[in-house]
Amino acid sequence: MDKLTILADSAKYDAACTSSGGDREGGFSLGSTVAAGCCHTFSADGRCVSLLKVLFTNHCIYDCKYCVNRRSNDVPRTAFLPEELAELTIQFYRRNYIEGLFLSSGVVKSPDHTMELIIRVMELLRYKYQFWGYIHAKAIPGASPELVYRLGLLVDRISVNIEMPSEDSLKLLAPDKTRRAILSPMGRIAGGLEENKREIALYKNAPRFAVAGQATQMIIGATPESDYQIIRLASGLYEKYRLKRVFYSAYIPAVSDRLLPSADTKPPLLREHRLYQADFLMRQYDFAADEILSDKTPNFNPYLDPKCNWAINNMQNFPVDVNTADKETLLRVPGIGPTSSRRIISARKTGRLDMDALKRIGVVLKRARFFIITADHPRGLALNKESAARALIDPGSFSYGMEQLSLFSAAGLPGPGDIKSLKEAAEEAVLCTASRLQA
Amino acid sequence: MHGVEASGVIYLYDGGLKGLYCCVYESVYEREIPCAIIPESEDQPSLFARKRIVTDPGKASRVRASIPKKISQRALELVEHGYLTCIEDKEMAILKFLLMAYKTGRGAADMLGHPDVDRLFKAERHLMREVHLLKGFIRFSDYDSALGAVITPKNFVLPLLQKHFIMRYSQEDFIILDKVHKAALIYQDRKRQLIPVEDIRFPEVSEKEELYRGLWKQFYRTIAIEARENPRLRMTNMPKRYWENMTEMSELL
Repeated sequence: MDKLTILADSAKYDAACTSSGGDREGGFSLGSTVAAGCCHTFSADGRCVSLLKVLFTNHCIYDCKYCVNRRSNDVPRTAFLPEELAELTIQFYRRNYIEGLFLSSGVVKSPDHTMELIIRVMELLRYKYQFWGYIHAKAIPGASPELVYRLGLLVDRISVNIEMPSEDSLKLLAPDKTRRAILSPMGRIAGGLEENKREIALYKNAPRFAVAGQATQMIIGATPESDYQIIRLASGLYEKYRLKRVFYSAYIPAVSDRLLPSADTKPPLLREHRLYQADFLMRQYDFAADEILSDKTPNFNPYLDPKCNWAINNMQNFPVDVNTADKETLLRVPGIGPTSSRRIISARKTGRLDMDALKRIGVVLKRARFFIITADHPRGLALNKESAARALIDPGSFSYGMEQLSLFSAAGLPGPGDIKSLKEAAEEAVLCTASRLQA
Repeated sequence: MHGVEASGVIYLYDGGLKGLYCCVYESVYEREIPCAIIPESEDQPSLFARKRIVTDPGKASRVRASIPKKISQRALELVEHGYLTCIEDKEMAILKFLLMAYKTGRGAADMLGHPDVDRLFKAERHLMREVHLLKGFIRFSDYDSALGAVITPKNFVLPLLQKHFIMRYSQEDFIILDKVHKAALIYQDRKRQLIPVEDIRFPEVSEKEELYRGLWKQFYRTIAIEARENPRLRMTNMPKRYWENMTEMSELL
């Protein structure tokens, strides 16, 4: 039991947890995968748990400054036996505790040696246990392309952590993991995905390579990059490496070091939240990174989610007629998301939509009503700046506490010393936002 | 179809889907809308007249076949899902939807702005959300001869869970007992059946089973990041009513 505690504890800071992307029917062995993913439980921090997320071992020859398992840190070290881990995965899976396995590892002897051990676990699961549930494996930076490819054939998702949002930060905090050592396997994986697409087109039963694609993860808040730099990087990674997901992990002090933020730093949770919001905008709402932030405004607004922020800065695009606008335009309206826009387009085939219909469809009218034209409001709603501001402000901004707001360096907003309470901060935010709304 | 009147009659039926289709048949051909449709077993004394609707398989299949023909496949899905939901007046909601849909035609089931469609749609959504959550929250125990699980859902979800778990455990035998609806899904020797049961007494839990439960609880406790503790978020995502059947949560109740 100690082994599991140590190796699960070490893995918990790895943010990726989804089990989505794979769609395998099953039927001939143990296990199937569900395309939309499946949450089996939620931990005390409210996050979804769908995979057995562990390190194969927390021994490590590297000394990355932020990592609790860094070589120079004195912690109990242990390792699974491949058989042991495979058996544990199977028994958890049979009880419906998990959708599958998420395996990372410290680096033992060398990247390739570690990869061989990880591959051994996967081979046991797939071939001995006939397990076809979901597997997400981390490729070790610096691993040889052949091993990366072999691993890709055994798993659903494969990822390499990019760790830091810039090469400078990487050199500073994780010098053992060079930029090349990270990007090279990512390139190999992207190449493998491309090749596999062609193979499958030619030969239907070609072995599948990482059906759930490639993902990556970076730590936010340990280093000084702006939000703009981060989302531009994410956007570039999505494009260049055909990533399915980028995960942003708020820095949590696990070790002290003079190069790291102080040990009582609170994790930048609100900032992480904004990054995910921006990430979803780029992936599902067709926003470009440059529309969300810019060199002039390199950081998120703490009080507004990025979409509302964009809307306020681009009022010339509104009001939008819900009965005629296309999907892309509907998606720009605060309060209308991919599901609502689909339903609007479907419902309006049989009649013009009014506010009541939109409400039943699930549109967040509290926000949307200021930006749309409907059958019963052909000239849109008159914009009362203060009520619009109240509706657009992200109530979530205040649920992380005062400290989170003070971590933001958004221009034009009062600094931490000026705000006395969350309530005052909220009122301040309303006034500030209202004044930005054009007539 | 015109001249349908609201009548002061209560339809009594056998509680089954075929019986419900027969109620629809009756309403359409007698040109009346009952004020309620109730399973016979749940009948309560009241001032309203009763009409006992006999389940005739011929009538039922005529109604069922007419839905995709006159309306759409989606309408049929909406009706059959509606039947599984837990809303009090599901029978009347289905009848009202069908009466409206027969008149409207092909697009009826997509008219999410219409209250009769909306009622059924929202009930279906509640049902599907529960199905989706349960796929993750169901906990099995290994009783050596088979895997067994207990659920206490609001909606009648077993028919919609079948496919998922049969695909997941195609090589195993398993039972899922729905304590609320007194039914069980049994999968044995690659054959499935969904049958009414009063109760199932599962055998004693083995040492191996205790071991894995313990490991899972340990894993569950370990993975929470203290600096991000958020019981409210956990509750929103995982309502307390599911906890009693989840081994890692039941001791927190």
